[in-house]
Amino acid sequence: MQKKLIVAIVVAIVAVAVIVAGWQLTQLPSPEARPIKIGLVACYEKAEGQDMDRAAKLAVKEINDAGGVYVAEWHTSVQIELVIADTQDDTPGKAVGPVTRAVTEDQVDLLIGGYTSAGTLADQVVAIENRVPYIITGASTSLVTRRGPQANFGTATDEQKIDDAEGMSYMFHYCTTTADYSKTVVNFFAESMKPLLDSTYEFDASRNLRLAILYRDDAFGKGVAADSKSLIESNDLPIDVVAERSYPATATSFQTDLTAIKDAKPDAVYVVDFIANTAEIIKEGQRDVGLNTVYIAVECCEDPAFYTLLGEYGDKQLLESKFAPYAGPPFYLDTIETYVTNYQQEYDTIPGMMGADTYDAFYIAKDAIERAGTVDKAAVRDAIESCAIDQMLVLTETGKIEFSTGTDYHEIAPVTFVEQLVWNEAVGECRSVIVYPATAPGVGELKQADFVLPEGYEPGSS
Amino acid sequence: MNRTLVNSLGSIKREFMNFSHSQKFYFFLAVMAIVAIMPLFVSDYVVGEVLTPMIIFAIYASSWNLLASSGQGSLGHAAFLGIGGFASALLAIKSGIPPIIGLFLGSLLSAAIGLLIGLACVRLKAWFLAMVTFGFSVIIVTIFSQFDDFTGAVMGFRTPLIVERGVPFYYMAFTFAAVSIFIMYLIMKSKLGLAFRAIHQNEAEAKMIGINTGKYRLIAFVISTFFAGLAGGLYAQSIQYIQNFIFEPYYSFLPLMMAVIGGLGTIEGPIIGSVIIRAIESYLPSIDSALDGLLHPLFPSVNHVGPPLRMLGLGVFLIAVVIFAPKGVAPLIRKAYNYLRSSTSEEKT
Amino acid sequence: MITTSGIVEALLWGVANGCIYILLATGLNIIFGVMKLVNFAHGQLLMIGAYIAFAAATALGLNAYIAILVAMGVVALIGVGLERFTFRRVLGTDKLNEIFVSLGLIYVFENAAVLLWGNRSQQIASPFQGLQLSLGQVSIGYDRLLAISVVIVILIALFLLLKKTKIGLAMRATSQKSTASMLMGVNIEKVYIFTFALGAALAGAAGALYGIIFPFNPGIGALPTIKAFAIIIIGGLGSIPGAVIGGLLYGIAENTAVYFLGGIWQDAIAFALLIIVLVIKPTGIFGEKGE
Repeated sequence: MQKKLIVAIVVAIVAVAVIVAGWQLTQLPSPEARPIKIGLVACYEKAEGQDMDRAAKLAVKEINDAGGVYVAEWHTSVQIELVIADTQDDTPGKAVGPVTRAVTEDQVDLLIGGYTSAGTLADQVVAIENRVPYIITGASTSLVTRRGPQANFGTATDEQKIDDAEGMSYMFHYCTTTADYSKTVVNFFAESMKPLLDSTYEFDASRNLRLAILYRDDAFGKGVAADSKSLIESNDLPIDVVAERSYPATATSFQTDLTAIKDAKPDAVYVVDFIANTAEIIKEGQRDVGLNTVYIAVECCEDPAFYTLLGEYGDKQLLESKFAPYAGPPFYLDTIETYVTNYQQEYDTIPGMMGADTYDAFYIAKDAIERAGTVDKAAVRDAIESCAIDQMLVLTETGKIEFSTGTDYHEIAPVTFVEQLVWNEAVGECRSVIVYPATAPGVGELKQADFVLPEGYEPGSS
Repeated sequence: MNRTLVNSLGSIKREFMNFSHSQKFYFFLAVMAIVAIMPLFVSDYVVGEVLTPMIIFAIYASSWNLLASSGQGSLGHAAFLGIGGFASALLAIKSGIPPIIGLFLGSLLSAAIGLLIGLACVRLKAWFLAMVTFGFSVIIVTIFSQFDDFTGAVMGFRTPLIVERGVPFYYMAFTFAAVSIFIMYLIMKSKLGLAFRAIHQNEAEAKMIGINTGKYRLIAFVISTFFAGLAGGLYAQSIQYIQNFIFEPYYSFLPLMMAVIGGLGTIEGPIIGSVIIRAIESYLPSIDSALDGLLHPLFPSVNHVGPPLRMLGLGVFLIAVVIFAPKGVAPLIRKAYNYLRSSTSEEKT
Repeated sequence: MITTSGIVEALLWGVANGCIYILLATGLNIIFGVMKLVNFAHGQLLMIGAYIAFAAATALGLNAYIAILVAMGVVALIGVGLERFTFRRVLGTDKLNEIFVSLGLIYVFENAAVLLWGNRSQQIASPFQGLQLSLGQVSIGYDRLLAISVVIVILIALFLLLKKTKIGLAMRATSQKSTASMLMGVNIEKVYIFTFALGAALAGAAGALYGIIFPFNPGIGALPTIKAFAIIIIGGLGSIPGAVIGGLLYGIAENTAVYFLGGIWQDAIAFALLIIVLVIKPTGIFGEKGE
């Protein structure tokens, strides 16, 4: 009798051992495990593209050094392998090829990047057709996610529509659009600047703020100008657009246009262009034309080069932004402090704006793959759609990174703000402080200082 | 005008007869065969993004070459590339006609505008024509932008496809290229081509022997811009997008470089030039990051040395060809080919 | 909104801008008049002039206006090199070859500039920056006034050189009939080198002035070339007084057009004028001299 008991116990132990061993074996890293390939779509001929490259490499290094991305399906963590899709100057002719190669030859699991509107609209088609998740961190047009049925085709013309719901579901827009920046700018003028003008110069409350828009003649410039005007109208804001001038993208001098704007007597000038031209306009306006007003630049100017070019002429001028590496320390968010410090340590320069979106996108991708448990593109897409991680370098209205599933399809709700530049004698350059809005979710108090009028400011006519 | 047409057609037909019995014909067939089976040996990406553009730009460069053979060196051919691209896409989208018809109509429209510009240029000397054509390519950007509501040129748009991109389109482009270049070859060898070359060589003398230089210059313009428009329509298909970028000076200088480097005035020159330049553009960028590492200390002001170095190299290449090998690379290749043939004996006449 | 002071300012600035174009166009004209050569890369010489002046001003700490002389000298030397090693070899061959060589040179110069100085916009710091001369409601910068003065001085010097010196005589003789002047013992080669160097020096001066007034980058050479051509065509190829008048007219036309119509017409104006004039009168408004 005892013998049978012993035999039974031994058999039980052996059975348990076999089961446990078997279970352990299935938990070993699957032989299919391989690095995750993420394609970076960036225009290396431009400074912005290089900023994206540095930010991407920093993110990849951080993630890989911390162990990589855990893929449940393979029972192990794997590293991220960065595949570069260099679109050179990001014109459609040059953008489609590299992205095609990344998708068809390099077989990337995911794409991150994009810079110009036209180039991205062209190169995203490859990702749409091949069902590759694409986190678009550039392109100021909302069409990149709204050109499909989920958004009722947005403002797409017939030519731009893509009637492929499944394909479009792989597109995500982690960036601000022209509407996002225009909204903050016109609201700033209505809520913050107009009251200050009225009280300083004893204007009647019914006097509308006189705004001039000076923009470059391309999709970006025209988009911002159009969005600003329509927002003013639809929200019935107390702003009059007294002058609207545009110039070819190749222009380097704007004195005549500025003179015409001066003649229109504006209270403020909204300059829509990239770093070099915006800096030049702000300088020429004050130095050569005598247009002593306040200028506001678009967020793409949030870059070290802008501050260097402006020099003292930037004092008290405005910059709409979504990522402010110059507004601190102390920064309004810890993640910003960490990123700026690490970036400076790695590359010996202050980060620009394009890189911020790119950096975040890599973490979005990591989170999505980990929650999906697989690199299967459809599952990853679903996981990105249900993303709910805390905001990182870009502020959002809810404090979390969330992609909408409504008609603003797969867009985030970013919080943009207005900074005022202040001349810093010690550094020999301007630094910035946030002046609007007062608060933001997840951050609390956002405003760092009150908006003041520049020295020698002249309002438009009373 | 009727007599010219009849004479020209007759001459072209004769040339065709001559050609089909010549040795060149077999060479031509061999090339066609190679191109036809390429997709079996290379990846789809190479077919779509390397070979297809080579073919399309071969048409484009040939069209420029034909115009230049009449002494008219256009610096604004991108205007017609773009007109063809936009017209073919817009026609297909806005009036619902099949894209392939749009392609032809777009090329015709390009030729029609070419006629107008040609008329403006008919009395102009080489430098002025170059300036006017360049000017036209700049103005057309402004025009397309001003009418953006109709053209969609500022943001650009998706072009409707005739066939699927990749291998099917490769064969379609190849068919168009073979036919187009063949037609241009026959024209250039015919009496028309002779007239072009006479005008190029010495316009005053050509006039004296009774050639109506104005008429032939116009004919060259119309033919050239037709094929440039065709190339434009095809190019828009290959990237499935069209936008103002197509008018950039880069696209005007490209056919010039291809034709001159390959061999101005020859039929194989533009093709060779297209292959060379497109190969450079497709493959040289891959060493850019290595170049950055190597050369950054030499050029501290530039973050990305590759593209300017490449462009500078192309400029030097062009100048070198013009000064030292004015007939282009084609004769050098021909010499090499002859050398190889002679070393394997067997003389064919 | 259009005001008289605005218009006057636009006109004044048009004159200042026009002066820079005059220098460029004159250089092109001289080269064409004597050598029958058209160099499309002429605008790139302007760009190089701006960078040389900038380098001289920053590296050697020279006054911006002294840097003009340095720019003229260096660009003249570059001109000599160009003439000897490229243009001389294609002179006399197919006219299209000149166009091809010019195009190659455009690529070479622009990208050399990018490699040496980067893509960023620069500007030459002038001691008079920001200072304005106010005449009632109209104001014009000192730099612009100085630019006009410098151009006048250079043009006077040029006039004296052409009319009073031996080399000037040789140049004028060559521009009329090169074979005849060869028979009369003029060393054509020397004349060509000198002419090209002179044309280049003028372009270099134009570039140095440009760099003081406007921000510049490696790509700014293309448009001034077109404008120089427009001016020459308006004024008549080979005619220097024509180029002066044409330059002033052009500068004024461009600025007023931008003032009234908006900046987007800036570039198109040059071409529109060019095309209109060429179509109506292929030899230019004042006709051609020489050729």
